[in-house]
Amino acid sequence: MRDVAIIGVGMIPFGRRDEDSLMDLLAYASLKALDDAGLGDKSVNAVYVGNMGGGIIQHQTAIASSLVDRLSLLPAAAETVENGPASGGSAVKNGLLAVASGYYDYVLVVGGEKMREVTGWKATDFVSTMTHPEVEYPYGVTLPGMAGMFTRLYMEKYGVTREHLTAVAIKNQDMGALNPYAHVEMSISREGILDSPHSVVNNPPVADPLHLYDACPVSDGAAAVILCPLEIAKKTGKPPVLIAGFGQATDTHTLQERDDPTDLKAVSLAAKQAFEMAKLKPADIHVAELHDAFTILEIAESEHVGFFKKGEGAIAALAGKTKLGGQIPINVSGGLKARGHPVGATGVAQVVEITFQLRHELPKNRQVKGAENGLTVNFGGFGNNVLAFVLRRVQQ
Amino acid sequence: MMSINIVAYKCKKCGRVHFPFHDRCLACKSREFEEIAPKGNAKLLTYTTIFNLPWGFDQRFLIIGIAEFENGVKAMGQVDAQSVEGLKLGMKVRPNWASVRQQHGEDIYGLKFEPIE
Repeated sequence: MRDVAIIGVGMIPFGRRDEDSLMDLLAYASLKALDDAGLGDKSVNAVYVGNMGGGIIQHQTAIASSLVDRLSLLPAAAETVENGPASGGSAVKNGLLAVASGYYDYVLVVGGEKMREVTGWKATDFVSTMTHPEVEYPYGVTLPGMAGMFTRLYMEKYGVTREHLTAVAIKNQDMGALNPYAHVEMSISREGILDSPHSVVNNPPVADPLHLYDACPVSDGAAAVILCPLEIAKKTGKPPVLIAGFGQATDTHTLQERDDPTDLKAVSLAAKQAFEMAKLKPADIHVAELHDAFTILEIAESEHVGFFKKGEGAIAALAGKTKLGGQIPINVSGGLKARGHPVGATGVAQVVEITFQLRHELPKNRQVKGAENGLTVNFGGFGNNVLAFVLRRVQQ
Repeated sequence: MMSINIVAYKCKKCGRVHFPFHDRCLACKSREFEEIAPKGNAKLLTYTTIFNLPWGFDQRFLIIGIAEFENGVKAMGQVDAQSVEGLKLGMKVRPNWASVRQQHGEDIYGLKFEPIE
């Protein structure tokens, strides 16, 4: 197995992009990554596209074949990778394994989604298609609904309160306000969403005990990375970022069949595999992008990957330990909460953000000073398919 | 009263109860199951009110929960209540089989849990 590095990244601002098609989003992010890698007019050997909803929302399939044609990357090998909200992470994994095996030298991985071209009702229904088709979906359950049921149990078991969840929401929106790629560039106050009489109107419940500002927005967006063997990457101009560790694990499709529904086993296992492969520990990580589709997930994942003991993630968030400058900065990008969650793009966007961090190229108010090691967690389904990556800055 | 039209699967080798169906037991990988019906009342394990409903539901909100029957079958269903006030974790609910949504003008039947304490 060869060491695999990221030599180029590209991303377009997430949000509502009415003027662009899904193919536009994928193409723009891809071109930025190709340019960032300094590949110019050169091609790549293979392309992996992470996308969940093209077939349902755009009524378009075989998206990767269309993309290589549009980008004049023919005759590169190409396929679309669909793995729910973990499609982006799965596309990165496919690219990683293809280069590590020695089969391909240059791989483009791009994740993208365009969700805002349908109504909220339709978008919610589209995301719900990942629930069990016979024993969950017919009841009208949604992903916020799954998260609401999970949150109620997590609060009961660990004493998590809305105050803890609010701390995560405020932190991530504050960081999103500094990120030009973020969907929601707006800070919020505790008074506005928790303490004042206005908060009842500003922050209504979406799936109790979760409220509007506990949930990520529905977004359009795309993000891309170029992978190649580390030995080649070392000869390029930018500090190569090594994919030092990778892990992936699955769990039961339905929440009801987990012995302890508050135990996100797939998160723990994926992170453990990634740390073992990278020969690093949670304490060695300087910056992390966790899949905060809901504020509770950032807290739960921060415990399951090993940053904090079970039950202490909420306390750490409230104490500011996960802020920029804290013990372990989490979601300095604003996370899914503020950057947005175009489902197929998210897993790639997390890797792009950590690459920015490890190259030390962000403005001071966003940069984790001296960051050498980063972690991403991309959470599919309701925790039934999870990918984790450990990235490491390579000294040239 | 319509009967609960659910089949759960008890592993013949280790006794683990599955719902929905799996081709191999989640615990011991055995492929032989005894079909069982959910029995008695149920205990509400968790619940939420969904305010942003998917396409196909023409109503303001919906209360959803997961409950465990007396013989260990766990299932999701709608909760027959006007709000979560008065619901609590672990409370007893009576399972009913009723219309849970309509598709193409036809009723789709499923579990509805009625709070009884």
